[in-house]
Amino acid sequence: MAVDTQERPSASASTDAPAQQEGRVQRYRIRTGMFAWMMHRLTGVGLVVYLVIHIWGLTALTDPETFNALIAKYHSPLFKVGEFALLVAVAYHAMNGLRIVLIDFLGWSPKQKKLFWTLGAVTAVIILVGGWPSLYALGEWLFGPGSMPTFFL
Amino acid sequence: MAQTNALNWFLHRITGTFLIFMLITHFWVQHYDHQAASVTHEVVTEKGEMPDYPEEAKAGVRARYGEDAEVTPYQVVMQRLDDPVYAVLWKGFNILFLVVALHHGFYGLNNVMTDYIRDPMGRLIARALSWTLALGLLIIGMYSVITAGW
Ligand code: HEM
Ligand code: HEM
Repeated sequence: MAVDTQERPSASASTDAPAQQEGRVQRYRIRTGMFAWMMHRLTGVGLVVYLVIHIWGLTALTDPETFNALIAKYHSPLFKVGEFALLVAVAYHAMNGLRIVLIDFLGWSPKQKKLFWTLGAVTAVIILVGGWPSLYALGEWLFGPGSMPTFFL
Repeated sequence: MAQTNALNWFLHRITGTFLIFMLITHFWVQHYDHQAASVTHEVVTEKGEMPDYPEEAKAGVRARYGEDAEVTPYQVVMQRLDDPVYAVLWKGFNILFLVVALHHGFYGLNNVMTDYIRDPMGRLIARALSWTLALGLLIIGMYSVITAGW
């Protein structure tokens, strides 16, 4: 598990007061790492579930009528929300996965903090830019045509 | 556990890295490209109603299937999947994507299951079932994408 526990204080740190303080910070760090890892696991399993449904649904490719019905369903309001959620899961899993790969292969451990926040910012940009079509579609439907800025669409 | 060896661990990281590039391509093609995107920026609620496609997609479909061709999701996607030249490349890309995504996903799923299933027999069953499902999906997926438009 490549989580940010690198800065774990030495085991002797449990005797005096300042060290206990350090221990507390450490506990928080383990939690961030644990949380990142649990979310990675959750999004990974979620994506497998989506992939199974997706490939199953794509048998519709063999028949025009069925395929049109499938893609029309992709345009329902609920699916637009799902589409956005899917992007959030993919973006998180991909960027956290990239972080793990960089740490494992390139040994970027000393730069972990910086890497964490840089990729966090990249993830936010991916979600906003990539998710705009779904949000735009939902907004247009909820608030009427022309109510949403098109930006780069 | 036979599967938790260094090669598979390494492969999982490689497939993950590949997936970044393939998912970017997939996302672009399905959601962003004005001519090729199968999903538009539109919500459809009526039964039987089709999403309206942008001018670029309409022009592309009409150039290929004639002036009075219907511009439905199927035709928009077929611009790529039955293209006389590039269909082979798109189908090839989709199959590669399919293989890599299934390997990464199901190998990962097996890691997760191994963590929660303690009983060796249970692990074996879970492993056999999950890889059987993956193989089934591989066959179904290849069939759909190869025969599409051909
Ligand atoms: C977009 C690019 C992706 C990257 C860079 C990536 C990267 C990774 C990495 C490095 C791991 C190993 C984590 C570890 O050993 O602690 C992992 C685990 C996993 N991935 Fe991906 N992945 C990607 C896409 C996907 C997709 C599309 C799926 C689903 C089809 C998926 C499903 C999983 C699962 C189920 C795990 C196991 C989680 C665990 O063991 O806790 N991943 N991913
Ligand atoms: C809402 C988002 C998505 C839409 C609208 C979508 C749509 C499609 C469509 C229309 C195809 C047919 C082939 C083609 O057009 O070239 C396809 C194929 C495929 N998609 Fe997606 N997709 C989405 C998200 C995803 C995600 C997140 C994954 C990965 C986990 C994925 C994995 C695949 C794979 C592996 C194939 C190839 C299947 C095959 O060869 O049978 N898709 N997708």
